[in-house]
Amino acid sequence: MYAGGNIEVALSSLFLNPITLSGGIQQIFVRFVLFYTMGLGVGLALKAGLWNIGAQGQLLVGMVMVFVVYTFLAFLPWPVLYIAMILGAALGGLLWIAVPTILRVKFGANEIVVTILLNVVAVNFAFYMLSGPIKSSGTALGFPHSVNLPAQFQIPSIISSLPITYAVPATIAIGIILYLVVERTSFRVEANTVGESTETARYAGIRINRVMAITMLAAGALAGLAGATYLMGYRYELDIGSFSTNYGLVAIICALVGRKHMLGIGLASFFFAYMTIGAESMALSANVPTYVVFAMEGIMMFGILLGYYLTERKYLV
Amino acid sequence: MSVPLSDVLLGVLSTTIQLSPFYLFAGMGEIVSEQSGVVNLGLEGIMLMSLMTSFVVDYTTGNPWVALLVAIGVAGLIGAFFALTAIKLRMDQIASGLAIYLFGLGLSFVIFTVVYPSGVTTNYVSLPPLIGNWKTIPYVGVVFLKQNIMAYASIVLVVVTAFFLTRTSLGLRVRAVGENPKAADNMGVNVNKVRFLAALFGALMFGVAGFYFAGNFVPGFQTDIIAGRGFIVLAMIYFANWKPYRTLFAALSFNVVYAAQSEFVSIAGFGVASYSTLFNMLPYVFLLALIPVFGRRARPPRFLLKPYRKG
Repeated sequence: MYAGGNIEVALSSLFLNPITLSGGIQQIFVRFVLFYTMGLGVGLALKAGLWNIGAQGQLLVGMVMVFVVYTFLAFLPWPVLYIAMILGAALGGLLWIAVPTILRVKFGANEIVVTILLNVVAVNFAFYMLSGPIKSSGTALGFPHSVNLPAQFQIPSIISSLPITYAVPATIAIGIILYLVVERTSFRVEANTVGESTETARYAGIRINRVMAITMLAAGALAGLAGATYLMGYRYELDIGSFSTNYGLVAIICALVGRKHMLGIGLASFFFAYMTIGAESMALSANVPTYVVFAMEGIMMFGILLGYYLTERKYLV
Repeated sequence: MSVPLSDVLLGVLSTTIQLSPFYLFAGMGEIVSEQSGVVNLGLEGIMLMSLMTSFVVDYTTGNPWVALLVAIGVAGLIGAFFALTAIKLRMDQIASGLAIYLFGLGLSFVIFTVVYPSGVTTNYVSLPPLIGNWKTIPYVGVVFLKQNIMAYASIVLVVVTAFFLTRTSLGLRVRAVGENPKAADNMGVNVNKVRFLAALFGALMFGVAGFYFAGNFVPGFQTDIIAGRGFIVLAMIYFANWKPYRTLFAALSFNVVYAAQSEFVSIAGFGVASYSTLFNMLPYVFLLALIPVFGRRARPPRFLLKPYRKG
């Protein structure tokens, strides 16, 4: 029987399984890093009034770039290659968002439309790269996948008994730095003015195109970087399973629920990381497809944003 | 391997005419909604829900017309909820739309798996082609007469939408509340009511699009079956500058490129997961390449995305 579960089992799966099941804590922090890194980028662009719906596409290109660098720059010595893989992922995301950025700044093209289009292109691009240039030659059967990253290219855990990698403090550090840069300098005023009204910004002498370009490119680089931490810190190989879930949309939710605040996005990311793991575990125990998590995320988004509305009675978000 | 060129061209044209109505139904819905100032980014979620209900109702009753009605009903319910949050509660339209998308993406698959745990068992009863023995009529048969009545209805819808937006008083009010809600309000137009109706009409059309997808695209229901094609509609109407006839042109040209590359891939015989994925990008890259040409002149309704509060 579907949905015939026991409410106690359901609630304990939702709230307790993430921390009691083996691997649960690791999963939470993997998602947290993913959501927070991408969410920071989405939030940054939103401050300047720009919607980066394409975080998922930038993430995919970042993931592909990790293996492109690993395969084609393999002659580099270890620490250089290690850093090049991380930077390559960020560069991949940056190049991918450069298209909507240029189209927006030069041609005034709507960034929502372009980033959505590029998401579809990114899936095909990643699929092509995976089935050709970065495919593992040792593939026996089934779907194409990349090679497995050897241990020296993985992001190590902080304590060996707890599978929390250095990616977690690094991500939090990025969040704090961005908080200091964005919320505590004149950049905040600039971005907010551009976000509120380009007309006002023009009168105020703010270089609109520069603000837009910086926030957009940073958003793409962050989403690409998330690809590196995900592959090098958790998954270690790329296969089509890695790009079936739309993490980019969850990152948008985290940015909105965190109210575009660089630290608030962190809290929202942790909350959604915890809830998605719990919801997936609950779905499994109730024998319902884990896709139900998407529906729950949608409902939670409505709930939280309507909550903001009821407390403030003004424009949501 | 040699395939006669005429067969290839007919195949491309036939596919183009078969796939375009999906984009036209959704496109006309989104145009009317956006002309009133409301962007519905949840269109693909609404389509997924109505597509799923189309399948389930069609399997159960064997009657595609009942499936169409139920699909429209489901789309209307979700669309009314969207309109309530985006218009009455002034929630950010993009945020609400994305939430609707996630909701539809998850729930459609969950409901389908609950109803059909072992996957699809029964056959989908599709609408009949316009002329039953279309095969006997050369050229015109495979391109036009093979299509079902809904494909023709989509063309009618384009004409009606264009007429509605420029020649009827309600249509002018729709455009007025998207262009200048304050002035429309002063003239006695109930801004939020007109917006609600426009957004609801949009959602109903997404329901029709979802139904059309069920019968003409991929057989059977899978997760994320529309795979971003709903979102492409947003790009199409952008290039079309929110004009119905130009949307028709955008949909046809996108699908010609799509059909041509898929015909080419199948003739060239690339294996799955090889160069074919590069060719799959072409229709989207084609749309992107149009931006410097058409996107420059695109001018959205002035109060797009902006909620209206009286007073």
